[in-house]
Amino acid sequence: MAESVRAELFARLREQETAVEPEQIALALAALGHAEPARTPHADVHTAFLANVLANKGTVELARDRGAAVQAIGRYLYQRFRTHKLVAGNDPRLAAMPWRDGGVLPRFGAAENGDSAALSYARLGVAETGAIVTYTGRANPGRNNLLPEDHLVLINREDVVATLEDAWARIRHDTAASGWPRGIQFIAGPSSTADVEAQLVMGAHGPRRWHVILVGDTPAEVLAQASEGVRAPS
Amino acid sequence: MKLASNEFLQASSAALLEEDKAQRRSLIGQFLPLARDAAASAYGDFDALRAHMKRVRRHTMTHLSHYLEQFEEAAVQHGNQVHFVANAEQLNSKVLSICQAHNARRVAKGKSMVTEETGLNELLLKAGLDVLETDLGEYIIQQAGETPSHIVGPALHKSLAEIRQLFLDKHKLGDRELETVSEVVEEARGVLREQFLAADVGIIGANALIAEHGTSMLVTNEGNGDLCANLPPVLIVCTTFERVLPRAEDAMALQRLLVRSATGQPQTCYTSFYTGPRREDDVDGPLETHIILLDNRRSDILASDYSEMLDCIRCGACLNHCPIYIGVGGHAYGWVYPGPMGSVLTPLLTSLEQAHHLPNACTSCGRCAEVCPANIPLPDLLRDLRQDESVQQLKPARWRNGLRLHAWLLRHPGLYRSLTGWTISVLGLLGKRRGAFRRLPFAGGWTGQRDVPAPEGGGTFMRQYAARRRRGGKRG
Ligand code: SF4
Repeated sequence: MAESVRAELFARLREQETAVEPEQIALALAALGHAEPARTPHADVHTAFLANVLANKGTVELARDRGAAVQAIGRYLYQRFRTHKLVAGNDPRLAAMPWRDGGVLPRFGAAENGDSAALSYARLGVAETGAIVTYTGRANPGRNNLLPEDHLVLINREDVVATLEDAWARIRHDTAASGWPRGIQFIAGPSSTADVEAQLVMGAHGPRRWHVILVGDTPAEVLAQASEGVRAPS
Repeated sequence: MKLASNEFLQASSAALLEEDKAQRRSLIGQFLPLARDAAASAYGDFDALRAHMKRVRRHTMTHLSHYLEQFEEAAVQHGNQVHFVANAEQLNSKVLSICQAHNARRVAKGKSMVTEETGLNELLLKAGLDVLETDLGEYIIQQAGETPSHIVGPALHKSLAEIRQLFLDKHKLGDRELETVSEVVEEARGVLREQFLAADVGIIGANALIAEHGTSMLVTNEGNGDLCANLPPVLIVCTTFERVLPRAEDAMALQRLLVRSATGQPQTCYTSFYTGPRREDDVDGPLETHIILLDNRRSDILASDYSEMLDCIRCGACLNHCPIYIGVGGHAYGWVYPGPMGSVLTPLLTSLEQAHHLPNACTSCGRCAEVCPANIPLPDLLRDLRQDESVQQLKPARWRNGLRLHAWLLRHPGLYRSLTGWTISVLGLLGKRRGAFRRLPFAGGWTGQRDVPAPEGGGTFMRQYAARRRRGGKRG
């Protein structure tokens, strides 16, 4: 069945098209260029990124280095859950963090139903949309982004790019070496729904809270500027 | 889904009388256009973005066989099984056979208008499968045994009180308040989480297919589609072949248009790209993935004068901006797709004969075309459908004769002018006292809901215009 349906469809399509060499098609496509990115609230990519994360109802924090990041995670977990438990993918960058210094007890692997918090080390951050990008795999199983109550994300300063097009350039570069992952997820906020009475509620199916920690030497003013004019999430 | 578009007139009359629902719709009609406008202007040059997307779509459609083949090849290389199906029946039986091959019992479904179109759930349920819609809006209407009233917010017609009662009846969870929106969402989260964890098969739609990488884009806020795509051991993506776009960047352009036009957000929470089954050392994800590409007359539409309709990205903006949709609601349209996009698609995907009322409901106000991110000339397509309708003689004879008379009059301007002049003077005299008519002969349908103002002195527009020109063409 499917074979003949396929053949018929392609025959119909080709009947209507003028045959053009693939090289010609590629040239015509390249000539179309790309769309313009959205305007961002700040010219500086890190300020814009943080401002958009906040606008997406995420919370943000700065950490000078991995040690500071561990401390920040420890504080967050204690305040939210009175626990030090955390699940994280088998990302070598995460394995190398000084967990004991922050009193955090990570379990490395895939998140399970009932896990309160999962941590991902993002591949990318996108200033244009305030999204972080993860690739599925051992380093970050897809379910870790989805099952826990809270999703914590580390993102290195140098991995924040300006636009969605920049993000894809990086994704192409990364995957040229490691192969195309099963899933690429752009995440921009806690899971939300407005399906009942058009009222926005967090934690529809996935995480109720989304906490992004920008790792690297970021002046505190950047966060102050990013927070200006953005309503704090309730 | 069963087609009931031939009952459009009765259904819309009934809908106009439901005050509570009408009020709910008018809120949608006020709020969503404002949100869309704000998001579009915050973006920057939104019209340039629309024009760019249009060029990309034209290019893609001109070379569709090339891009479709490229998509298929890449998708297969990534380990997907790609199936082409011609119609609803084939799609449904393909899905069922995949489920049966895995002895599946439970299915978790993400939002997919395509499977609404094919009526997939009905078949799966009949075959004994436990199928749950997981998009909250879809879940609500599935539990209520209803159909979507809106392509983006399927349950926006339901009040909190109705949903509360529905959940109290359906979920055997003992005594509870369930009085706030948050409580309702929380309860659905609990029920659906179980389904995600236990499902043998996940079914999702796709917002775009990317030829270059053989991947499909899924855009949601709830993350339900992502849970369907990541937890069950088998994943089936149900979509249509013309969703294909050349590059990831083109999908990004589409996504920029979609989110702003649909909900006024600058960005949805989840934008994901799924590209096949679990890789060698992955610890999660489906073991088997299928992509089903449905035609269902789309290749006919592509070859017709209505091909631009295939550019629709299902954002729902034309619904939110349509005075008819806001007036009568989605159910009156009698099928999956309501509003302006539905009034074009329904006749094309089913039959003009059964759906010919829909193009006639359009007042040609043009708001849909003004906001359509895909720049589809919806009022023109609706006018062309009315033309087809007249060629196929689908209107009652009384209408056709009336139109023919009108056309004849227009070809005799002298007669037309004296006749309209006469009518205006008579109406002016008759309506002088009240200034308006409650009822007019031959226009009972129109005057049933509103008054017609009586003409004031000065004669017809043409006469006043001519007089003004004679006075020296001064503009007033
Ligand atoms: S026709 Fe245009 S406005 Fe309407 S749903 Fe489709 S893309 Fe959106």
